[in-house]
Amino acid sequence: MTAAPAPAPAGALRPGFRLALRPRFRRRELGLLLVVSVALIAGRISLGVTQRAAAARLAGDSGPVAIVVPTDLAILAAYVGVLFAAHLALVLAGRRTDQILLPTVGMLGGIGLLLMERLPQTLAGSLGGLARTQLVWLVLSFALITALAVAVRNDAWLRRYKYTWAAVGVGLLLLAFVFGRDVNGARLGIAIGPLTGQPSELLKVILVVFLAGYLSENRSLLVEESTRIGPFSVPPLPYLAPMVAMWAMALGIVVVQRDLGAALLFFLVFLLLLYVATARVSYVVLGVAAALIGGAILYSRLGYVQTRVDVWLNPFADAQGAGFQIVQALHAFARGGLIGTGLGAGLPTIGGRPPIPALHTDFPFAALGEELGLVGILAILGLYLVVIERGLRIAATAPDEFRAILAAGLSLVVGVQAFIIAAGNLKLVPLTGITLPFVSYGGSSLLANGLVVGLLIALSERGAELPPPGPRRGRLARLGRLVDRGAP
Amino acid sequence: MTADSSSLGRRIPIGTALGRVGLALAVAFGALAAGAGYWQVFRSTDLSSSPDDAGVIAASRHVLRGVITDRDGKRLAWNVRDKNGEPFRMYASPALSGVLGYASRQWGNSGLERAWDAQLSGAASADPLYDLTRKFRTDPADPEALKTTLVLQLQQAAVKALGSNRGAVVMLDPRTGEILAMASTPTFDASAIANPATSDKAFRALQADPSLPLLPRATQGRYVPGSIFKIVTATAALSSGAITPATTFAQQPPAEKNGLLVSGFRVHDGHHLFTGSEAMNFDQAVEVSCNIYFALSGLKAGGEAMSTWAARFGFGDSIPFDLPTAASQVTGGGGSFGGGFEDDVELANAAYGQGETLVTPLQMALVASAVANGGILMTPHLVLSATGRTASTTISPTVWRQVMQPDIAGEITNAMKLAVNSAWGRIFTSGARVSGLTVAGKSGTAELDPGNKPHSWFIGFAPADNPQIAIAVIVEHGAHEVRASPLAGDLFRAWRAWANT
Repeated sequence: MTAAPAPAPAGALRPGFRLALRPRFRRRELGLLLVVSVALIAGRISLGVTQRAAAARLAGDSGPVAIVVPTDLAILAAYVGVLFAAHLALVLAGRRTDQILLPTVGMLGGIGLLLMERLPQTLAGSLGGLARTQLVWLVLSFALITALAVAVRNDAWLRRYKYTWAAVGVGLLLLAFVFGRDVNGARLGIAIGPLTGQPSELLKVILVVFLAGYLSENRSLLVEESTRIGPFSVPPLPYLAPMVAMWAMALGIVVVQRDLGAALLFFLVFLLLLYVATARVSYVVLGVAAALIGGAILYSRLGYVQTRVDVWLNPFADAQGAGFQIVQALHAFARGGLIGTGLGAGLPTIGGRPPIPALHTDFPFAALGEELGLVGILAILGLYLVVIERGLRIAATAPDEFRAILAAGLSLVVGVQAFIIAAGNLKLVPLTGITLPFVSYGGSSLLANGLVVGLLIALSERGAELPPPGPRRGRLARLGRLVDRGAP
Repeated sequence: MTADSSSLGRRIPIGTALGRVGLALAVAFGALAAGAGYWQVFRSTDLSSSPDDAGVIAASRHVLRGVITDRDGKRLAWNVRDKNGEPFRMYASPALSGVLGYASRQWGNSGLERAWDAQLSGAASADPLYDLTRKFRTDPADPEALKTTLVLQLQQAAVKALGSNRGAVVMLDPRTGEILAMASTPTFDASAIANPATSDKAFRALQADPSLPLLPRATQGRYVPGSIFKIVTATAALSSGAITPATTFAQQPPAEKNGLLVSGFRVHDGHHLFTGSEAMNFDQAVEVSCNIYFALSGLKAGGEAMSTWAARFGFGDSIPFDLPTAASQVTGGGGSFGGGFEDDVELANAAYGQGETLVTPLQMALVASAVANGGILMTPHLVLSATGRTASTTISPTVWRQVMQPDIAGEITNAMKLAVNSAWGRIFTSGARVSGLTVAGKSGTAELDPGNKPHSWFIGFAPADNPQIAIAVIVEHGAHEVRASPLAGDLFRAWRAWANT
């Protein structure tokens, strides 16, 4: 166990949250942020020149294009300013936390923002266009990251109330069932009065917190008390219940909310965390089998699942109908080729509309594939791999299992989500309507992913104190205490 | 490091599991990279050059179609841009609708816009080198500007002459086959179809219009010709030797009163009030448009000769022309009487333009043109030149076929001159005569089913001794109220005004 952290000069605000003002330079983060800024500004200048050249062509001019007008840069400059402000706050907080995550998600957010600036501004957004609205959400997201990374010192509030969190999650799900609002045939959003949002984005974080609590408490039991059925070892029956519940919830989301993407995300993250906690491949195999059986039942019963799968298998069969979006996405990748058309030069419009309707939410990956090419796609995939790698590293060096599983789960929820939508865009898996983390347009997604990354940075602090054993109730809690008894 | 869940036994290596999960995700992301590589490298060319590709479609929508001008360089069709920056067509006048057609994103193309679409949109280039290197260019389209044979002011004069009547006018230069005017009424506003803001409404209204404005009557309308067809019968009868200009028929004068009995069917005539009981020769028969004379000539020449000589004018098949044309016919065909005629009654009726005979205005303009040009029919055409970025194609006049001998064309010309200018002829063809210009022509009144007013026709050319303009005019159901002959007279004057400037 590492030494306890130096006593903080500032007093505790309240249990679990403490503010400390002791600057500690973060050279690596600063250096990477500078690289990110240069890349983004270069991208914005390139986009500006392309856009002005296109406008001039439209007006019938063919002369050389004037160099950057400052107003072009305003939105991106504000964003880069926010990144450095976040960096400054982390420096002032003086915690020894991860320095890679902020620049990485900063780059992803910046690429997304450039894309939003490039798309028709009327596509979405109530705050003066697509890019401005996205900027506002990005600012809030990075404010959330910073606040969590600075202030969260203690995870007791997460681990102690896992069943409360679970209840909140179930409540959110019920809200979605009741107040669900159909978006493109799926009940992705809820609208209560003026508040709208996608509950599944918040739900994924709550799910990870609950799983981290549940699995860390019961992992030994899950492994030791397994029963063998034929070649498979099955988790002990009392502990099977949450897994069956998880499976049922995923199916329920597909049936009631028609949200294939969220169901896939939840179930994959659940299986991966189950494996992290138990190291039992057989549980994963069992889970995949259960998912396949559930999927087969849904396929035979639900028309929209059938359509999704059939379109996935052969989108070109109905290229003007059900397969339209995915076929257009594949064409976009093809037009991009190896090095892309350049920002602003792709996505040919027909009648003033880009070829794919939901470019900003469901297909930013395809849009970037066209304009940045295979090279850009590989870079973006690399950025997500960095997020995953940092998360797993934080997990591996975590002081206890709860933190380990929590950190792994938080990074996986981002990585797996990116995989599902990217693979959907590339026709590797059926297309779903989930967002590309930090790149897609949308407040719910940006805030939820900000929550994830903020927690990850906070969890990464080296020399963090262990939580005090809290009061626990119930049979499961008693079992859990057995696990914790070994801790110092 | 951490104390593992030890009380129940062995340690569970969480680090190893994390490593494997990391590896699994790395493999998954590797699959994404491979998938992206497949679409962006292996399928790149195939998909991005397919006609369904948004880039290909957008390029075609952004291409500026070539400008269309008339033979004097006046713009007939050009491009303006909508709010999305995508160009659409504007047309100089609705009078052009029957020949230029329209080019619309929503409804496709018609008319000359359709026939020359490859050149106008730049999909085909006048420069063979450009076609070879097209794939390597950033701007693959090489739109060509078309200089047409049309004269905007004649086109407008033709539509103005037809007024609110349905009908068609074709004017061409018999020496070259160049179409100077090709009008069809009612006209339509092709600009409204081309403009994406008004396209749907305009097009649906036109589709629902019972007067069929979208039908290009000059090339696609098939009409009963009536007496103008006698020029075809004259060509067949004179060329086959059935008659000479001096031929008279003894049974003609008595038949004038009660009709000529052909196998129980009576062919009637209405001119004996003027001509009395004179047995007329060829010239006189043309002057007064004698049905009985031509019925007898047709019967004497025979069905075979009638069909053969009509076919030499272009009957029986579509005409080689820029625009698609409906085939004209002498007979419904399939009959056993010879030349496809059912019997002598059908032949006798066809000989003066009734029976099963159906013609397009373009076909009848070509009949006049062949007579005017000494029997030689030039290939009709609408385009003088197509000019791209680097090269230009010029279309020269070509002979389509020799329809008749020059001396026979001369005989017919002489008769048509009398039909417009002689004392008798002027009664029937009044209004076609133009002072200071010798017009040769033939009018026609095409009888239709009972209850339908007859079509009024005129075909002719001028100046008769050196023909430079041939014309066909039809006024649908014009009867004796709106006659084609005076419209033709107006159009000859309009032509003279244009030719003298």
